[in-house]
Amino acid sequence: MSMRTTLAVLALVGLPFAGCGGPKEETPPPGPAATSAAGPAGGAPAGATTGSASISGKISFEGTAPAPEKIKTSADPKCQAMHPQGLERQTIDAGGGGLKDVFVYVKSGLSGTYPAPTEPVLLDQKGCMYQPHIITVQAGQPLKIRNSDDTLHNIHPRPTANPEFNIGQPRQGMESTKTFDKQEIMIPVGCDVHPWMRSYIAVVGHPFFSVSKDDGTYEIKGLPAGDYEIEAWHEKLKTQTQKVTVKDGEKAKADFSYKS
Amino acid sequence: MAGRPGDDRAGSTLRGVPAFDRSRHLFGAVTAATTLVLIFVGGLVTSTGSGLSVPDWPRSYGMLMPPMVGGVFYEHSHRIVASLVGALTLALALWTARAEPRPGVRRLAWAALAAVVAQGVLGGLTVIFLLPTAVSVAHACLAQTFFCLVIALAYATSREWRDARAPDVDQTGLRGAALTATLIVYGQLLVGAVMRHIGAGLAIPDFPLASGRVLPPVATTPVLVHFAHRIGALLVLLAVACFLARARRAGDPRFTRLGAALLGLVGFQIALGAATVLTGKAVTPTTLHVATGAAILGGCWLSTLRAFRLRRPAPAALAVPVARPVTQS
Repeated sequence: MSMRTTLAVLALVGLPFAGCGGPKEETPPPGPAATSAAGPAGGAPAGATTGSASISGKISFEGTAPAPEKIKTSADPKCQAMHPQGLERQTIDAGGGGLKDVFVYVKSGLSGTYPAPTEPVLLDQKGCMYQPHIITVQAGQPLKIRNSDDTLHNIHPRPTANPEFNIGQPRQGMESTKTFDKQEIMIPVGCDVHPWMRSYIAVVGHPFFSVSKDDGTYEIKGLPAGDYEIEAWHEKLKTQTQKVTVKDGEKAKADFSYKS
Repeated sequence: MAGRPGDDRAGSTLRGVPAFDRSRHLFGAVTAATTLVLIFVGGLVTSTGSGLSVPDWPRSYGMLMPPMVGGVFYEHSHRIVASLVGALTLALALWTARAEPRPGVRRLAWAALAAVVAQGVLGGLTVIFLLPTAVSVAHACLAQTFFCLVIALAYATSREWRDARAPDVDQTGLRGAALTATLIVYGQLLVGAVMRHIGAGLAIPDFPLASGRVLPPVATTPVLVHFAHRIGALLVLLAVACFLARARRAGDPRFTRLGAALLGLVGFQIALGAATVLTGKAVTPTTLHVATGAAILGGCWLSTLRAFRLRRPAPAALAVPVARPVTQS
């Protein structure tokens, strides 16, 4: 066999195993502060159909919430060091007097278009967890993904209506910006390195949405007068809907109640 | 390299049969064994759901050696063992090209090299395109094909191959039984790969029944694929038992030992399949199920190679002269 053939074979075999590029680092240093994830994303942009009505309420939970799930973080010593007492995940969190992390949005009844805000929403990887747990963005609005941990993460949303992606952030402080162009409720997002990391991204075609706080309350502001269908979504307890009618300047109430 | 016991390369070849190259044969066997380890580690990647824990390729997070934490440990370990198998195959191919007098064996070595390169590229594509089923299944099946190629290389350089100069007549149908078992096992691995990559491993959640019945009550794609895999297991059991029965009839311990070992492996494999379902796809039984499947394929394929090398086809029924009517004009 000639030397040329040998070299060609060596090059061919080396191809799949040799490196040919660095990480796809989109924005190395942390940028300016992004908005917190909970909507309504600072109100609707100029030109959109907005109003002075609001819908608020409380999400209650009856029954016994399951015990928090204990998570083993020993697969990554750095995560373990961040949680010396261990890590727990409470998917039904009703300890604050109401049900936390319920996504509430106007499902139908709106007309007009709502251009996406240019200010990004932040999804942070901190303490080997996602912050916040429920991320809300308007379709087309930038989503800034940051790694605040001194360990590597991959960010892997699994949408069905939007394109799927999987990006790595091996170094602390790395940031990437992505957008989802179509409404999709919900997109599960996870880290394949740390399987316990899981959150949800709600992509909405308008700015009228909210996420319930520790005490279970929520508020959707700036609505035009109208008849709306409001939907509440919880990762374990699924969805509920209500019909609500509001007039300009009016504050309507829409409480939701989940049972175990 | 010459002159060690068992290494006959210094001697002349006889009637076109090459001398026994012990070192190259052992190297091929080691490459085959390392490939089985690679299949086990690849099984670990899917069993632990770590297939996308390293989102880039060919590097890992832009590095040659990322922190081995969480799912990265499994995925990057797979890449390291794959690189080792790639290097071994390259060395084997170059060695074979240089030292092997038989053109067919040289072609086999190049085919193995092409397969391992294609396998590496498929592995990269499955990461980059986020585990598309077709690519992932192709990756799983090419792994088995490559394993068979390396086994063939190791066997073609064995002493048994060299010494088999006057094969016995295959009077019990060993050749056909071994080949049939190999094809059925390969088909079963293909169905298993599809089941694994469409996430149908628990589509039938009980065992040995299917949702409490002999036939599954629903016929969705995942259920059908899962059920086909169970039927395939029965076919594999039958095929291997048939091979063992024919080996016993032939009274050749070279085949009876291998057949008995294969039957034992199939029993173990069925138990692992049951454990995979009943434990909700726990990592250990699920991964061992993948590796044992490959070992069964390798065993059946080796049986086929041996049967074709050590047995010659039985002659067709003796030609009996047939009296033809004489037509009178």
